[in-house]
Amino acid sequence: MQSINTHLKILIAILVSLGIAITAYQIYVMEIPLTEDETDDIWSLDAKLEFEATRGVPVKAQMFIPPLAQDYVSLNESFISNNYGVSINQQNGNRRVTWSARRSTGTQALYYRLVLTQRYSSEPPPASTPPLREPIVLEGAEQVAVNALINPIRQHSADIETFISEAISRVNDITDDNVKLLLGGDTSPIAKARVIDVLLAQARIPLELVHTVRLENLPNQEPELWLRSHNGENWLYFHPETGQQGIPDNRLVWWTGTQPLFDIDGGRRGQLTLTVTNSEMNALRLAEMTSNNASSQLLEYSLYGLPLHAQQVYRVMIMIPIGVLVILLLRNIIGIQTLGTFTPVLISLAFRETQVGWGIVLFTMITALGLSLRSYLEHLKLQMLPRLSIVLTFVVIIIAIISLFSHKLGIERALSVSLFPMVILTMTIERLSINWEERGGGHSFKVALGTLVAATLAHLLMTIPELAYFFFTFPATLLILVAFMLAMGRYRGYRLTELMRFKALTKQG
Amino acid sequence: MFFWNTWKTLKANGVMGINRRNADYVLKYNKRHLYPVVDDKILTKERAIAVGINVPKMYGVIETEKDIDRFDEIIKDYRDFVIKPAQGAGGDGIIVIADRFEGMFKSVSGKIITRDDIGHHISSILSGLYSLGGHRDRVLIEYRVTPDPLFKTISYEGVPDIRIILLMGYPVMGMLRLPTRQSGGKANLHQGAIGVGVDLATGLTLKGTWLNNKISKHPDTTNPVDGVQLPDWDGFMHLAASCYELSGLGYIGVDLVLDEEKGPLILELNARPGLNIQIANDAGLTQRCHMVERHLAALKKAGRTETVAERVAYSQRHFGPPASIKPKTDEESGTPA
Repeated sequence: MQSINTHLKILIAILVSLGIAITAYQIYVMEIPLTEDETDDIWSLDAKLEFEATRGVPVKAQMFIPPLAQDYVSLNESFISNNYGVSINQQNGNRRVTWSARRSTGTQALYYRLVLTQRYSSEPPPASTPPLREPIVLEGAEQVAVNALINPIRQHSADIETFISEAISRVNDITDDNVKLLLGGDTSPIAKARVIDVLLAQARIPLELVHTVRLENLPNQEPELWLRSHNGENWLYFHPETGQQGIPDNRLVWWTGTQPLFDIDGGRRGQLTLTVTNSEMNALRLAEMTSNNASSQLLEYSLYGLPLHAQQVYRVMIMIPIGVLVILLLRNIIGIQTLGTFTPVLISLAFRETQVGWGIVLFTMITALGLSLRSYLEHLKLQMLPRLSIVLTFVVIIIAIISLFSHKLGIERALSVSLFPMVILTMTIERLSINWEERGGGHSFKVALGTLVAATLAHLLMTIPELAYFFFTFPATLLILVAFMLAMGRYRGYRLTELMRFKALTKQG
Repeated sequence: MFFWNTWKTLKANGVMGINRRNADYVLKYNKRHLYPVVDDKILTKERAIAVGINVPKMYGVIETEKDIDRFDEIIKDYRDFVIKPAQGAGGDGIIVIADRFEGMFKSVSGKIITRDDIGHHISSILSGLYSLGGHRDRVLIEYRVTPDPLFKTISYEGVPDIRIILLMGYPVMGMLRLPTRQSGGKANLHQGAIGVGVDLATGLTLKGTWLNNKISKHPDTTNPVDGVQLPDWDGFMHLAASCYELSGLGYIGVDLVLDEEKGPLILELNARPGLNIQIANDAGLTQRCHMVERHLAALKKAGRTETVAERVAYSQRHFGPPASIKPKTDEESGTPA
């Protein structure tokens, strides 16, 4: 017996840990949402490029678009343009779209839209370390100014990181004559970035200009410039004006380098408006969309991989163990008496068709009518099989009459009773009536009530949508359920109703 | 906290609940494949006859609808008899014929039953109406037990019987079951019969239980149920204890009757005996069972087994007056397992 107990404990431990491990894997690694209503942010970036085409000249508009290998997953990308050919090419980690047309006139508008989400993104590939570079050769006064700036920076810095911060703060001090000279009167971030680049080049530190977009609900955004350098391990980001280190999470890299965002041949007065909007989407649908895109087999081996109609069936089926668990608890811990072990579960399944309220009313009504017929048949001394057939036919007739009446009365709900499993009802009537004869009316009433209570409880639990979603999405939790049932199999405590039954034994004498 | 206090008191008194009975005793000591022997009264009877245990005489068995015609032949020599489903539960489907009446039959209560009624009843038994699980059954026709007149004062109709619970052949608790008006002459507690505890050592009755309450008088005859000396008590004990060898089941309830002429007889065995016997005896089963289990463990260590007589003697020594159910030190019970 001891060895069986140990065996059982080990089995329970294995099942529980297996269930928890698989579910945790699904939640934390595969990032499957815990509830069906969980939503995720979706960002859509709209870029509208407007310009006036020059008459009689081929038009070629080029624009950088965000590279796809980032922390974000692209759900959808579209280029909308009348009469323009679209081609995308990659260069130095950037992506560039080229719109071209033989001829066009008047104001042109080209649209680009990208829809992104952060969930389900794979790890970005590790960036390769850019090679150390040669100093940019300068002449005359500029070289002197650079040297004058570089020396104190060297003295105040210890490594690449501090060197860059120091350089940024120096360049932003526009009262400094050396800085003034190098900037040449232009104090825009891009000019400052150019000067910083020159300074860092002297120290052979690689530097990249990174143009980013804020993922915030903002119309008319200007790309924000950041600088980044590589310290041999990862990218270090700096703001060119404030010297702030580290880029906020909501920035999306649009392109890198010194080139402007767009470039138009055969057109003038180019203007770009960038709008970012945020929307939410059901996390699970998102997962399905991204798995198509990102070729991840996220949901491939879950129940979601089944055809849709099969999924519907499994959504119901996977809840049956929950119903059975309810019956188990009610019978073995509370001690409620029910008609058979699984009849309540079958009845609770039948409640799916009718809704609980109607289900209870119909169940009671049909069972009561059936019982009275059954007690009449008892006088006729019929054999079991013919008697059962008569009761079943009678049940069908009652259901048909109820449907007909309720339809005439305009209650459509009761029509669904036609699918209320008749065999379950027939068996319920038969067993109840035998119970009645053997144990008396009081007992069979108690049993019928217990069955109804158990069925209602099981039904209510089985139809909680969150629970149904949870068990359908994380079927491994059923293993934990089995472990609990195993433990229940060796429960020897009293049933709550036994406390009443044996109350006499608590009194002395 | 009502629940918690009750729980603790019951536990302290060693009261056995259904879950414990099933997990620790029925499932542990009763091998499934042996169940048919106790579930089928005909098999039980055949086994008992084979080893020479006293049972009510079997007049005949009806197995098919066609056999119903043989009914008259089976009963031609008898004025009174009992018709039983072989696999019935809880005393259902049993007809007791006390006499014949102008080609018809008369039940104990004087109700007239026609030959057709009996034919129909036998047919329903065969179709499985009274059997566990509803499968086809056989009909047993046997000797009608006439209860000893001793029970007249504390019984209403029907046949009182004695239930003794055996653990590995050791009687652990006994109860006299008395039919009442409410139970319709049946000796089943959940149908309203009275259970009266019995002192295993002496065969003296104790107080009783009726519908989960403690009582001391029979509700129909208003005679006190305690202090009645059951005759031939040792005979009962030996007969019951020998049912372990007969069935091979470790935890059973043995139902015996006391016939006016034939003395103690085995009626049937039950592999899942009810728990209300504890209320009748005002004692818990768990403690007594643990005691027997410790005794068995000690015997196993010593490498010997006990005979029926030794087992009865052990039980009578330890499960006598209710005072002995309190935990006590006992050199024979060995060290706790």
